[in-house]
Amino acid sequence: MELEAKKRQLLEDGWCVVPEILTRPEANRVRERLWQAADESERRGISTRQIGLDPNEHNVRVFNLLELDAIFRELIRHPLAIDLVTALLGPDFLISNFTANIALPGSQSMKLHSDQGIVVPEPWFHPWSINVIWCLDDIDTENGATRYIPGSHKIRWKSELPENAIGKAVPFEAQAGSIVVMDGRIWHTSGANVSKSRERALLFGYYSRSFIRPQQNWNACLSEETVASFSSQMGAWLGLDARANVKLAEPLRSRDAIP
Amino acid sequence: MDTIAADHARMGRPIPTQDPVQAQKDIKAFGLCIVPYVLAADKLARVRDALYRAADEDRARGWEQKFRFDYAHDDTNQRVWNLLSRDPVFADLVEHALALDLVKSVIGWPALLGNISANITGPGGGEMVLHADQIFVPEPWPANPQGVNVAWCIDDFTDENGATRFVPGSHLRNRSPAADEAATASIPLEAPAGSFIVMESRVWHKTGRNRTKHRRRAGIFAWYTRPIYRQQENWFLSLNPATRQFASDTMLVLLGYRTEGLGLVNGKSPA
Repeated sequence: MELEAKKRQLLEDGWCVVPEILTRPEANRVRERLWQAADESERRGISTRQIGLDPNEHNVRVFNLLELDAIFRELIRHPLAIDLVTALLGPDFLISNFTANIALPGSQSMKLHSDQGIVVPEPWFHPWSINVIWCLDDIDTENGATRYIPGSHKIRWKSELPENAIGKAVPFEAQAGSIVVMDGRIWHTSGANVSKSRERALLFGYYSRSFIRPQQNWNACLSEETVASFSSQMGAWLGLDARANVKLAEPLRSRDAIP
Repeated sequence: MDTIAADHARMGRPIPTQDPVQAQKDIKAFGLCIVPYVLAADKLARVRDALYRAADEDRARGWEQKFRFDYAHDDTNQRVWNLLSRDPVFADLVEHALALDLVKSVIGWPALLGNISANITGPGGGEMVLHADQIFVPEPWPANPQGVNVAWCIDDFTDENGATRFVPGSHLRNRSPAADEAATASIPLEAPAGSFIVMESRVWHKTGRNRTKHRRRAGIFAWYTRPIYRQQENWFLSLNPATRQFASDTMLVLLGYRTEGLGLVNGKSPA
């Protein structure tokens, strides 16, 4: 059970890499569609460069992938991704965002952070979010692979962050077509793409526990057409319906029987 | 501390005050403050009429929705949801200057409006499971409260008619009550109609039992959270478009239309 081993690694180490989910031709196809989506985004007036997240203009950011192409609507609910998300967060999660970051040669690192730590106050005892990173290119140190601090998902208080934390970060290495799965508590940063000519295209499927507000407001940004294409399960995962953050109250209902 | 204040402190609840500084101190010390006589008589009547009209309409049309914290066998207690869409007067409560200042003193700004709903206890009903409002945040909880409830008393809140009850000092425990703590001694929050009570999200509380023969007791609960939490009401699905169209800048922030970091559209705030 290869997948079971990956789940165990995710729970214990805070990350895992699952190779060959897409074949190389499939990964190439997704990358082509991604560039088309970037063009379409620009055509709609939604800029993909210098949007304030990166140190310079060598990163291409594509938002709202779900609206732009059906291929992304397939990837975000890929059974294997959902399986790993469920293993870490349990079944009660929402799709928070699905965006792309294409690092072109010359792109620089972001600041060290954990996805959970920049949003929710300490302490961080449990994983409340997870990143499923689709690699459309081979990633390594040279082209700006994400760098992470091993074991940092066990950091519960900011004061536990080691001195010279950034120096302890190591790069993920993965082939195109893999996913890199990361507990929301792992401290990491994007690497710098110091290659001469290699692009590094990644898709970030971000999922969080349902009581956390999603990064993307799906109700406000998906077209009626796109929404109509979703199963009721997808609608629920996107938080489009009236399910709200009172699910944890459900155990209290057992007391309904008390007269 | 004067004698009256000392008496209140012994009972575990603060003396009602309209002084914002004292109210903030009360929230820290008691987990809540009571601000009396905020709504003038005509405004109170306007709010009360709008609420009972919506409640009666819901009941007549079979639109009522139970709340998960209530007892299923309770047929007299009534919840009215999404008040913002029922009458514009409820937006005035959400944005009331003093209430909002106290909200900001507890959870900062920007904040989100998770919901604004009414809880109307009826004769023989109303009792609720003891809980803290931030129950949805897994423990251990952060050091500070993650939400705050502003309870508007639309009728007098009395022990007899089911005033909200709370457990003194419970906010300092920084955790939810355990199953075997459901019966922890609680005391009623009595206040005249037109007052509001600001309760931070860690206070253990519940609706009281309405022991009157004929009287309903309405409270309107405006629930605010830090901006990282998902709102209880999905405003983008359910809000009356006119409320959005004429919303103030403050209201746009509270509803999540003007936002940073979370709840974005194409990387930008939707409004």
